[in-house]
Amino acid sequence: MLDQLGNGLLLGIIISVASVALSLLYGVTRIVNFAHGEIIALGAIATLFFSSPIDYRILFLDKFSPLGLNFALSCILAVIVCGLFGGLLELILFRPLRKGNVGNIAVLVVTIGLSIFIRHLYLLFATGKVQNFPLELQRRQTYLFFDMTPRNLKVLIIGILVMILIGLLLTYTKLGKAMRAVRDSEELSSVSGINSDNIILITWISSSMLAGLAGVFQATINDVRWNMGFLILLLIFAGTVLGGIGTSFGAMVGGLIIGILVQVSVGLPFMEGHTEAKNAVALGIMIVILLFRPQGIFGQKERIS
Amino acid sequence: MDKTVLECNGIAAGYVKDLNILQGVDLVVKEKEIVSIIGPNGAGKSTLLKAIMGLINISGGRFYINGIEKTNLATHKIVNEGIGYVPQVANVFPSLTIEENLEIGSWSLNKQQKENLNQIYEQFSLLKDRKKDKAGNLSGGQRQILALARALITKPTLLLLDEPSAGLSPVAINEVFSIINDINESGVSILLVEQNAKRALSFSDRGYVLDQGRNAYQGKGEDLLNDPRVIDLYLGKL
Repeated sequence: MLDQLGNGLLLGIIISVASVALSLLYGVTRIVNFAHGEIIALGAIATLFFSSPIDYRILFLDKFSPLGLNFALSCILAVIVCGLFGGLLELILFRPLRKGNVGNIAVLVVTIGLSIFIRHLYLLFATGKVQNFPLELQRRQTYLFFDMTPRNLKVLIIGILVMILIGLLLTYTKLGKAMRAVRDSEELSSVSGINSDNIILITWISSSMLAGLAGVFQATINDVRWNMGFLILLLIFAGTVLGGIGTSFGAMVGGLIIGILVQVSVGLPFMEGHTEAKNAVALGIMIVILLFRPQGIFGQKERIS
Repeated sequence: MDKTVLECNGIAAGYVKDLNILQGVDLVVKEKEIVSIIGPNGAGKSTLLKAIMGLINISGGRFYINGIEKTNLATHKIVNEGIGYVPQVANVFPSLTIEENLEIGSWSLNKQQKENLNQIYEQFSLLKDRKKDKAGNLSGGQRQILALARALITKPTLLLLDEPSAGLSPVAINEVFSIINDINESGVSILLVEQNAKRALSFSDRGYVLDQGRNAYQGKGEDLLNDPRVIDLYLGKL
């Protein structure tokens, strides 16, 4: 079971980053974004496009050649592309819906439709093949009591640093406080002088950049697939709910716990030969935790008056 | 007492297109005045405040702040015109601390932020003592005080208050009205929407009675209190 802990931490950091992104967006805009998984996949697909060698012809219906850029630069560009994509979604789709007072459930259905639409665009353009980033294979090494490749260790460290950065940003900066204020009340924020449209746009961009980063992580550790984001979407929702909906710190911890539970459960005796059921164990534990702590691990009960 | 701070001419506005709640309301607030708006439910009292704050679209008429037209100005810009607003519900940020609430209130200020914050703490010691507490943990009366402080931190010339006594105990209501009185004495004009019409009128220099989105009566607070038409319609026997 312990040998799965390294894998659990890696899956945990992917889920954790993606959960924070989802939670941030939900917290500020009240949008449950089912298309979140597609932004994750975009991060991976864009990185693949930027970094694969020029003569590589699997992507994009074989019509476009990849750019063959440096890998780290490709990752950064891909994250920026995801941010721009999220900003565009807000400007052309979600802002008009909000201004038209479209209800939360209708918006949720829109995100489901968007998710299916984008996912199948990927299938058309990026093909259904499983692909890998152009990185050489690395041997696993032991760090403390975890086994992982040096590259995956780097992913883990970058993930943790990004989380700390997000936490500091939300807690101490003017922008972070404004995001939390808009989360509490868009109307009260506006009458306090905050341009809440701008804050929501920034939230979409930051949430999508984080989702893109999660996609880069996932594809670095595993591979690139057209439906890779969708496959882990349920785990991301689980992480967000477990931590306490709308609390970013909760989402970080919740995501990490879900990731570790999923991987560690593979090592359980009764799971031998049934590893495909690993999500079931994690989600089952989530349900049990929520029975005892309905507001999530870090969600707070608030006085209502 | 003569300078006009706010002047509304024939304001028409509503939440849904082509369905106006306000159907041409005129109103004037002068410097250092307390003006109250009373009327039955659905008369458009709160709607008028929201229209001035740019929270709903004004489809007809105009309003002027210090003589300059500001109709349909974006909400986040109204604060810079010296207007503070305390909504009836959701008047604090519950998940933010008291200090953060006040910081957000002073969003539009640049340099004097700290100075104004200290002045607010001097004025309201309760807020200073509990500045690290979440606003969501305050009682209704304490929330109202924080909401007033949040709106005051930018040093507005006019404060719009939407039912500041709603849901408060009699003791808390007295405290809140005494604070509003102090604010007014420091030179801030007050435009007050109240369900508690007797209290509002006895407290105000002038009052407006709205009915179905139009001006019904207006006059000095005391005169309206004793006006048999107003008594019959809204106040009941005194």
